[in-house]
Amino acid sequence: MSDLVATSGPSAPVTVLLVEDDEVIRKTVGMALERYGYAVTSAGDGLTGLELFRDGRHDLLLLDVMLPGLDGIGLCRRVRESSLVPILMMSARGDSLDVVSGLEAGADDYVAKPVDTAVLVARIRSLLRRATFSAAAEEPPKPGAGLIFGDLTIDTDGLEVFRDGEQVALAPTELRLLLEFAANPGIVLDRQTLLRNVWDYGWDGDSRVVDLCVQRLRKKIGAERIETVRGFGYKLRR
Amino acid sequence: MDADIVQAARGLLNPRSQRWKIVALVAMASCAVALAVGVLVHRSTFDRSMAIGRERAQNALGPVVDQYRRTGVADPLSVQDPDAMPPALLRQDLEQVGFWYDDRRPDIPWMWAAESVDGHVIAVQMEMGSELRSLQALDRHIVEASLAVLAVVVPLAALAAEPPNRRLRRVARTARRIADGDLDARIGTAGRARDEITDISSAVDSMAGALQERLLTEQRFTADVAHELRTPLMGLITASELLPESEATDLVRDRVQVLRTLVENLLEISRLDAGAESADHAVVPLDQVVEESVRRLGLQARLTVTGDPVADTDPRRLDRIVANLVANAHRHGRPPVEVAVDGTTIVIRDHGPGFPGELLADGPQRFRTGAAERGHGHGLGLTIALGQARVIGAELTFRNAPDGGAVAVLRLRGRTRPEG
Repeated sequence: MSDLVATSGPSAPVTVLLVEDDEVIRKTVGMALERYGYAVTSAGDGLTGLELFRDGRHDLLLLDVMLPGLDGIGLCRRVRESSLVPILMMSARGDSLDVVSGLEAGADDYVAKPVDTAVLVARIRSLLRRATFSAAAEEPPKPGAGLIFGDLTIDTDGLEVFRDGEQVALAPTELRLLLEFAANPGIVLDRQTLLRNVWDYGWDGDSRVVDLCVQRLRKKIGAERIETVRGFGYKLRR
Repeated sequence: MDADIVQAARGLLNPRSQRWKIVALVAMASCAVALAVGVLVHRSTFDRSMAIGRERAQNALGPVVDQYRRTGVADPLSVQDPDAMPPALLRQDLEQVGFWYDDRRPDIPWMWAAESVDGHVIAVQMEMGSELRSLQALDRHIVEASLAVLAVVVPLAALAAEPPNRRLRRVARTARRIADGDLDARIGTAGRARDEITDISSAVDSMAGALQERLLTEQRFTADVAHELRTPLMGLITASELLPESEATDLVRDRVQVLRTLVENLLEISRLDAGAESADHAVVPLDQVVEESVRRLGLQARLTVTGDPVADTDPRRLDRIVANLVANAHRHGRPPVEVAVDGTTIVIRDHGPGFPGELLADGPQRFRTGAAERGHGHGLGLTIALGQARVIGAELTFRNAPDGGAVAVLRLRGRTRPEG
């Protein structure tokens, strides 16, 4: 696990859109992230967040779940309609409804408030690594340019996925998950392995993240392609 | 499904089951009706045959008496010797015709008729055997018919007892499911006629509804409290991280950390108390989970592993339990803290004064720590460890080592790795 710092050259700082209604959190998290070299734009409610998202280019979205007006889950869904930008949700309620609906709406990962800046930055980096890992070309898999699984074709160089010849738009985490499966075709991968390899979590990771991302991936590449092995995990059908 | 069949069979064989009580009641009622009808029919038939017997005897006596009056000679078929007559007949006032049913010989009964003519008693007797036999045949038929009716009614009653029995079993099954935590379980009474079983069913259903409502309210409240506490706490934590380094900053950060731990622990306990937690099982290598848990804690602990321990458990909750136990050993005990993983058992011990007797007797109590350690912790860590152990179906026990030191033993539910 090389500790890739988000590509923070002076020319192109990584831009984070922070949508959070609590003013203190918005200010302090913004300041803390700026110390780590990120450029932060922030909004205090969902609709402003959506406007800011549409106006500019953002490398990552950091969304609170409870927001006035358009809430974090609704905002996440609206963003996903047009964009595959990495989305990290923050939830203070910590009940599973928040977590599950956020991930279902298309978020890549979630953190529970309160979160240390160091942990938040680690999650952001992990997510950005997934988004930019074609550039960081030291990750698996490298068996050949095109992998074919039934009607599914994965171009591992261009990082494009085609189903029946039509391109499928995958969010970074979904793509990273699919590549993890593709590197181990026909082998059952348990949730803990996927959590570690795709999300950079240890044993304390929440395996619902895996389940919900697999669900989203299935919707895009066909439900039968990824098989559930009850009690163990998932495998990609050849 | 199999369990249902076994339960149904057990119900069938249980002599105390409602089914057999209903069957016994129906059988008793049938027997009582048969007995009453039988007695009435027997009595009326007997009375009728008596009347017929009297009439026949009187008809036979009439000509004999007439002849005697006319000629002074009695028919030789009649009886004139008073010694041959039943004494009870002679005791009657025989100025008019008297009758006596003579059943002194039970197989051959006689009907006597007698009249006194000028002080001379003349009697005739008629054999009543055929009447007796037809009465006996009638009794036999009544008994046979009753038995035939019982043979039909008893199985019918057993069958008729099945639908209410099945409904009652469903009530019991649903109540057990609710007790096991499935608060969505309902019996359902829609479209049923109102009877006692529908009453109890809807009572159980509304009880489950009320329970669920209360639990949901409590969960919502806990989640709202969590939100209200964590939001300012997160601002505080992030702000304290932005402060310039100084001694005062360290103090602030330390207290913020204490506050954070306390809030998280309280929220965790309220979630555990609400019973809303469910384990997220996975087959994991125990040694790795424990090792990482200790490492992340940043505390010293000597880890010994026997064999290649694997368990089917919830790794996040296991991580919480181990971290809380190790942290507790450091806070209240003395190093070295030892963590031993053997099979599905994890033993954590320290070399301090051991658990206080109160804890060993009553288990961990929130906000009650030994007087000597007051101010060091809130007694929440062990409560949480115990609660989480319950959620993952593990057994957590506390004892003191004979040579001093507190020992916490966590026994996970055993399961071996399915392949190799």
